[in-house]
Amino acid sequence: MKRTVILMAALLLSAASTNAQTGREIVERVKNRPDGNTRYAEMQLTLVKKNGDKRERKMVSWAMDEGKDTKKIMFFTYPGDVKGTGFLTWDYDQTGKEDDKWLYLPAMKKTRRISGSSSKTDFFMGTDFTYDDMGGRGVDEDKHTLLREEQRDGHKCWVVESVPVDSREIYSRKLSWIRQDCVTAVYVEFYDKLDKLHRVMTVQELKQVDGFWTVMKMEMKNVQSGHSTQIAVSEPKYDIPVDKSLFTVAKLEKGI
Amino acid sequence: MSKNLKILLLGTAALLCAAGRLPAQDGLEVSVKGFVDTYHAIRTAAPGDWMSSRTRARGELRLEKQGGGVFLSANLVYNALLKDMSGFQLREAYAYWGNPHWDIRAGKQIISWGVADGLRVTDLISPMDYTEFLAQDYDDIRVPVGALRVRYLHDAWNLEVVAVPVAEFFKLPTDPANPWSVGALPPEVRPEAKIANMEFGARFSCFLGGVDFSLMALRTWSKMPELVGDHLGYHRLTVIGGDLSVPFGSFVFRGEIADNIGDQGAHQGNALAGLDWYPGADWNLSVQYNQTFGAGEHQSLATLRVSKALLNNALTLSTFAYADVRDLGVFNRLSADWAATDQLHAILGYDYFYAKGGMFTTYARNSEVWLKLKYSF
Repeated sequence: MKRTVILMAALLLSAASTNAQTGREIVERVKNRPDGNTRYAEMQLTLVKKNGDKRERKMVSWAMDEGKDTKKIMFFTYPGDVKGTGFLTWDYDQTGKEDDKWLYLPAMKKTRRISGSSSKTDFFMGTDFTYDDMGGRGVDEDKHTLLREEQRDGHKCWVVESVPVDSREIYSRKLSWIRQDCVTAVYVEFYDKLDKLHRVMTVQELKQVDGFWTVMKMEMKNVQSGHSTQIAVSEPKYDIPVDKSLFTVAKLEKGI
Repeated sequence: MSKNLKILLLGTAALLCAAGRLPAQDGLEVSVKGFVDTYHAIRTAAPGDWMSSRTRARGELRLEKQGGGVFLSANLVYNALLKDMSGFQLREAYAYWGNPHWDIRAGKQIISWGVADGLRVTDLISPMDYTEFLAQDYDDIRVPVGALRVRYLHDAWNLEVVAVPVAEFFKLPTDPANPWSVGALPPEVRPEAKIANMEFGARFSCFLGGVDFSLMALRTWSKMPELVGDHLGYHRLTVIGGDLSVPFGSFVFRGEIADNIGDQGAHQGNALAGLDWYPGADWNLSVQYNQTFGAGEHQSLATLRVSKALLNNALTLSTFAYADVRDLGVFNRLSADWAATDQLHAILGYDYFYAKGGMFTTYARNSEVWLKLKYSF
């Protein structure tokens, strides 16, 4: 009996703790969701015009965590005119510290240092995803408010509103539906400066790979232009043996 | 159908069939890529003649196994104006081997140093091909050199040592059929191919959080021919310099500096400062200023690059201008690049020349419109 009471008390405390979570804490949990110390994935990006015409980009990427910072390298493998183009990013967790970024253009045989801050809000290679959407956004670059909890597609979600601290960001606010069982944003609405719905991100396939929740397929649709981008992930791998020399300018220039 | 055109078509078909990364056999990775492009330019001033008309297939083949491999890059060209420029052209052909800590590359290759964009301060090993002056893509302008390159690689720094047994020099157009011809030149006398005349140098590069920098030293030759008595010749140079890239906010500052020391002890300085701006919304702006000082003739050059991607990167508008500040001349290449499909790009451009004197004078009447179609595979 005593044991049951203690268990119930623990459960109640746990529930109370969940309810007391702030929007920031939830977003921080999303950001810190376990994803291994190293990662590899192949990605296919399909750009779809309003009239249905499609263009494709394919790339491979590796990432490695160093404390709270992350180093990433990725190479385009398709189409031919960008094949071999590489990006190297040292992504810092500390707010205000600019990321280090390099771009290698094989035709020029040259690596260029590029801005670590401004391109975050640019759209990635003509897709509807910004560099920030691809995972580089710091938690404290927005003010987060937990609005409510609700079911979405049969899963219990937190609904969090995030308002950029910097008024120069391309959106005025975003609403994220974050699945509670896997702490992953599965549906996000982005509103423009006039507070009109601009883009909608929908996760279409989510599964566990090597014990880590992995978004396998997602779509970002610009509801104002009708253009959309689908990202399909294949061959995801976690905690693979990767030498840190992979995340250097020398490797960027050598290519895949 | 001419023999060159047949070779071009057959070669293109073979490359297209082999395009992509083929399955590994016994650990051997085979990768093929390339493009076919056709480029045609017409003078906007009288007599409105063709400035260029060429079609080519570029193939790049990489064979790699256990950290070592070979890379081949070649063009098959059909040039309607300059028949001598038609045919097979080997660009790069080198073997390489390495591990995460060092690598070695030997053969015909393009070596690119420095951080300048289209200007030469420390990037002095691979010379320039001025067959069509600057009215070609920059990667076509670089001349590969036969070299041995060894690099020691560390996480935050590299040490690169280069030896070029036989130096290559600028290619200047002298064919009277070429609208870019600089006219007849006196005979050229190149340095003898002997060990005392080889080029060699080293570059130490650091890539740190918030700053990249390099230091270099090179025993080389002046690559632009100069009149020596009754012939064109070259003189020995020792160059010591460095470069720097510093990002701050949405800007990146780039700088290069070099001291060109002649064997008679004359020093000529060469300095460049550049600023790249990434304001967002797919705009890129870049300015550079380059000044030589000290011994010899001085040059003051500036460049401006502006580009804007539109329609989800299906259309890119860009302009790149060289300005001869001292002698008041401008060359500006304006282009609109439309990605019709993933593989096919159509590019329309206008090259504008203006010169009161200086390096652009020869080409003051060479403003042209051009069209390029490029299929990549």
